Amino acid sequence: MTESNLQSAPSPVGENKPRIDAREKVTGAAIFADDLQFGNALLHARIKRSPYPHALIKRIDISRASALPGVKAVVTGEDFPGYIGLYLQDRYIFCRDRVRYVGDPVAGVAAISEEIAQKALDLIEVEYEVLEPVFDPEYGASADAPLLHPDLEKYVVANFIFPQAGTNISNHFKIRKGDVESAWEKCAGVIERRYRIPHIQHVPIEPHVAIAKVDETGEITLWGSSQSPFAQRSLIAQSMGISPSKMRVIAPFVGGGFGCKAGVSMEALAVALATKVKGHPVKLLLTREEEFFTAFVRQGLVAYFKIGCDETGRLLAMENKFFWDGGAYTEYGVNITRASGYSSSGPYEVPNVKTDSCCVYTNHPVGGPMRGFGMPEMHAGLEQCIDELAQQIGMDAVEFRRINCLKTGSTLVTGSKMHPTGLPQCIEKTAEAIGWGKKAPPSAPNKRRGKGLALMWKAPAMPPNAGSSAWVELAEDGTLNVGVGGQDLGQGVFTVAAQMAAAAMGVPYESVRIATPVDTRYSPYEWQTVASRLTWSMGNAIVNATRDARRQILNTVAEAWEESPEDLDIVNGVVISFKSEKEITLKNLVIYGLPKPNDQGWRGGPVVGRGSFMPTYVTGLDAETGQGERAVVHYTTGAQAVELEVDLETGRIEILKGVSAFDVGKAINPELVKAQMEGGFVQGMSSALFESLQLRNGVVQNPSFVDYRIATSTDTPKDLQAFIVEVPQEDGPWGARGIGEHSMVPTIPAIANAIYDAVGIRFEGPPFTAEKVYLAMLDAGIVK
Amino acid sequence: MALITHPTLPEFEYFRPGTLVEASDFLVRHAAEARPFLGGTDVFVRMRDGVLTPKYLVDVKNLPGMNDLHFDPLSGLTIGAAVNMNRVILSPEVQEYYPLLADACRSVASYQLRNRATIVGNICNASPAGDTLGACLAFESVLYIQGADGMRQESLANFFLGPGKTTLKVGDVAIALHLPPPPAGSQGAYLKLGRNKLSDLSIVGVTALGYPHSGTLSGYRFRLILASVAPVPFVVKEAEAYLANTPISPDSIREAALLAAEACAPIDDVRGSARYRQQMVKKLSARALNEVWDKLKK
Amino acid sequence: MAFHQINVTVNGETEQVVVPSNMTLMRMLRESLALTGTKNGCSAGECGACTVLMNGEPVNSCMVLAVECDGAEIVTVEGLAGDQQLDPIQEAMIEVGGVQCGFCTPGILISSRALLDRNPNPSEDEIREALVGNLCRCTGYVRIVESVRAAARR
Repeated sequence: MTESNLQSAPSPVGENKPRIDAREKVTGAAIFADDLQFGNALLHARIKRSPYPHALIKRIDISRASALPGVKAVVTGEDFPGYIGLYLQDRYIFCRDRVRYVGDPVAGVAAISEEIAQKALDLIEVEYEVLEPVFDPEYGASADAPLLHPDLEKYVVANFIFPQAGTNISNHFKIRKGDVESAWEKCAGVIERRYRIPHIQHVPIEPHVAIAKVDETGEITLWGSSQSPFAQRSLIAQSMGISPSKMRVIAPFVGGGFGCKAGVSMEALAVALATKVKGHPVKLLLTREEEFFTAFVRQGLVAYFKIGCDETGRLLAMENKFFWDGGAYTEYGVNITRASGYSSSGPYEVPNVKTDSCCVYTNHPVGGPMRGFGMPEMHAGLEQCIDELAQQIGMDAVEFRRINCLKTGSTLVTGSKMHPTGLPQCIEKTAEAIGWGKKAPPSAPNKRRGKGLALMWKAPAMPPNAGSSAWVELAEDGTLNVGVGGQDLGQGVFTVAAQMAAAAMGVPYESVRIATPVDTRYSPYEWQTVASRLTWSMGNAIVNATRDARRQILNTVAEAWEESPEDLDIVNGVVISFKSEKEITLKNLVIYGLPKPNDQGWRGGPVVGRGSFMPTYVTGLDAETGQGERAVVHYTTGAQAVELEVDLETGRIEILKGVSAFDVGKAINPELVKAQMEGGFVQGMSSALFESLQLRNGVVQNPSFVDYRIATSTDTPKDLQAFIVEVPQEDGPWGARGIGEHSMVPTIPAIANAIYDAVGIRFEGPPFTAEKVYLAMLDAGIVK
Repeated sequence: MALITHPTLPEFEYFRPGTLVEASDFLVRHAAEARPFLGGTDVFVRMRDGVLTPKYLVDVKNLPGMNDLHFDPLSGLTIGAAVNMNRVILSPEVQEYYPLLADACRSVASYQLRNRATIVGNICNASPAGDTLGACLAFESVLYIQGADGMRQESLANFFLGPGKTTLKVGDVAIALHLPPPPAGSQGAYLKLGRNKLSDLSIVGVTALGYPHSGTLSGYRFRLILASVAPVPFVVKEAEAYLANTPISPDSIREAALLAAEACAPIDDVRGSARYRQQMVKKLSARALNEVWDKLKK
Repeated sequence: MAFHQINVTVNGETEQVVVPSNMTLMRMLRESLALTGTKNGCSAGECGACTVLMNGEPVNSCMVLAVECDGAEIVTVEGLAGDQQLDPIQEAMIEVGGVQCGFCTPGILISSRALLDRNPNPSEDEIREALVGNLCRCTGYVRIVESVRAAARR
């Protein structure tokens, strides 16, 4: 039995196994971080936050708050001098000298009840000296703007991020490919547009929560709703000046992440407070209002596109400028700037590209990773420009994309070549499913109908050495226990991990357990649960670990049977020999080994498999040109199309039909993949039609469900279809690559293109609210 | 919007009186510090936001009469203050005689919230966006109030003074809403424009009621009341008078809708702009009136 | 602040609980009774993650005072399953795949159970309307609605 047969093992990979955690969740037994019971020692934290977008802190008086009965600790930034950050260390745990956004943490209280902690906040006196704020990224990038981070050049920064000293630009990523200037003359069509994409928030139904405890030896334990237990450990430990080995992160079920629970946002606040009340766990649970703007938000974008093609419709040139409204701290957001830079051509082959993608500090809430990591914001404008360019030269929008889309071997904007991709199939599937080219009559005289389509691509955005690891062990009864460091946020990764482990070992799916909750003390390292990377990266680690265990088992049995391990296999939990047809169950042997004949001892013993995976081939990109041999590990590509109606009387959009097709390489669990396409479509649709954080002078005007509307059960289209395309990923387990983020990326432009098809209007940015659509139609004379 | 809200509810004392008089006396004794509540769906939210800071909450849900819902063809419909909106929606008498009220209730929030929300609570909260207020006004409802001076009745027509402001005095407990028998042959429509398809607060709400009336030139009387376009539920007297004096047709309805748009004074707020609201008053008033007219014609 | 002693039946068991005036039913369930299946998503009556049955009807437990529940019958997600088996709506949710992160799931199950109790054969529109007060960010509601239809067919 050779190793390559492992890759073609069909079952249970590719099957629609039921979720491994479904029963726990439907019975209410699933434990989320706020469900953990800590007893009477638990203290409750509340945070005092800046009411100003930009100010110096002149004085903080915590004496009255500290004296309030029931208050056990009050902390400020004075005690925590370390910077913290993932790609750029630009923030403190609590503000020290200045505040940079409305909501910035200035002090924290731990008390015996939430109410007392809340009362104590009012007793903390803070004196501010208001500074001039920055609310626009173009202004922030200009020489006129005040400097929000005067010490920018001193910050510790990853070597692929390029802060511009003496400015508010914390990263400037460039593409200089070919010769854009001379290319314009050769263009038969040119489109130049500006798009403004507003801030939105992830809106996980479970708000952020963190509980921290420091014991007498100084070891910190952090429980929390977390996508990134290991990253949180290393970032917080580094900031506090302790070894990561002195900190332990335990991560139960996550009630929705979408990126906002990656990296470190509010968790360090709980840890800081806990250091002052040794032995007491301290819980910080964000209110829904705080959730909207004090953890992570998705940053805003001002994007300039200029794209041109020749008379045959071939894209010749693109010149793109992105001004990312990164917010007060861009320690995470700087990489969004980079990722959008190296993806700035969209999923197309373009010989001449000039891109400047800048991350700009503003006095807005902190921009962080959100599903798509810059791709939804960028494609929102780019895919509309593609439609407009096609229209300008008189070509059908889908045909234009067929000509220009990436195919296997296409040259990419960073200079490397596209790996095998099913993007053309995704285009065909969505165009066919939406009935492209056929126009259905509107459902009523006061409606207008339209169709729109958009493509996308995205690579996992991460450091070149982001790694995964896994261990497997078996119990006496032959069940398989798999240790992982990745988190199931609802996307279903524990389920596919179990499927992959089962397939790789040769045991039934039902006999696999994933060792949860993830606990950095026992679980193997995982960089973060982000970037749609786990099925591919953690999957490879699981396969490697399982192979390791398999080798041990087969070696032991081969020795006992005096056969060669190549003639053995494990099927359904039984070791079988193809040669001698002998069989032995895994039970007991995986712990106790096998006896030697004639009572001469034992062989084998407890089986523990280990494996890891880290890409070794990602190269750097030139700082001036953005060119490099291999910018990323791979890309997932796909397409979405919508059919919608516009109500001429109210401007309201109703999505009648949505179709998605994504090339996932190999669907380990097709129903789970489709579920991601459905959920992502609706989240994308919600961001297209309803969502924006209404910022005025740095203050979010709508931080509640009352006025930040998200899609409800009555807003989802009745007809939502999902198609799986499978062009294998060379180094993916069974050929798999990720899908979690991608289904939210093309939705805004697909809807925008459909609105244009219906009523001939485009907008500078989403959300395409009924009001925006109606007033635009009124101003255009389409309605009276 | 308050910058910081309470995690759940701030501290207060809960008091459950045994009689209406006891309730009223308590409210007078603790004037400015005590507040009656029914379903709590408005009061709790505003307490959490720090907008309301009562020291005492007085639970009046189980006092005599508060849970009664009864209809009599001669006297009309009486809805006890504690009757939740789902009960009103499900009532066969409401569906038969006051379907407009059921429709208005059905548009409120969610099924869960309607199990706690009450029409009387909606009225006392006096939000200009209140969904049921238009129907209550259209049916010429009367509020029964127990006060420090005893029982009294107040017509809703003069009840609303401003956002969150009513003629209620310290010591008052609203105990029921009474709707006289509906005008013979009446038809109604409530059109609510929210940001989502359902469950939102209204950006604009249009309540229209029409019925045959021998005393008008047109032979009909219409009521037209708008939500979310003025400090109080906005009765469009100009449109009502116009439709009383002008033969009813799609043209006159369009004119009435134009009058409504010109008469109201919406503002820009986080939910919508004045301009859009004005446009929607025009469109939705016409739509609602046409719907009613189509039903009347049959 | 005063404390009140109440008798409340939760999932068939009568409990005697002492609660402060300002404690919501949601906090009483989660903190006093350690029934953490009911979730806190907003504490403002908007998201529905805290939905429980109170005297047979779904309510947002964050908008009900614990003290108001004296004498009431409460059913939470923990009380849906019988001794030997899951409620059909729970089975359907597993089979059809209406669960992703699981945080909205308890509230969805309670609202769905109540819907099927009052309307055993709901249309798709009726299901959507009944669930409009239960926000979900993961599933897009597609498989949730399908789960309720599947449960109705059992």
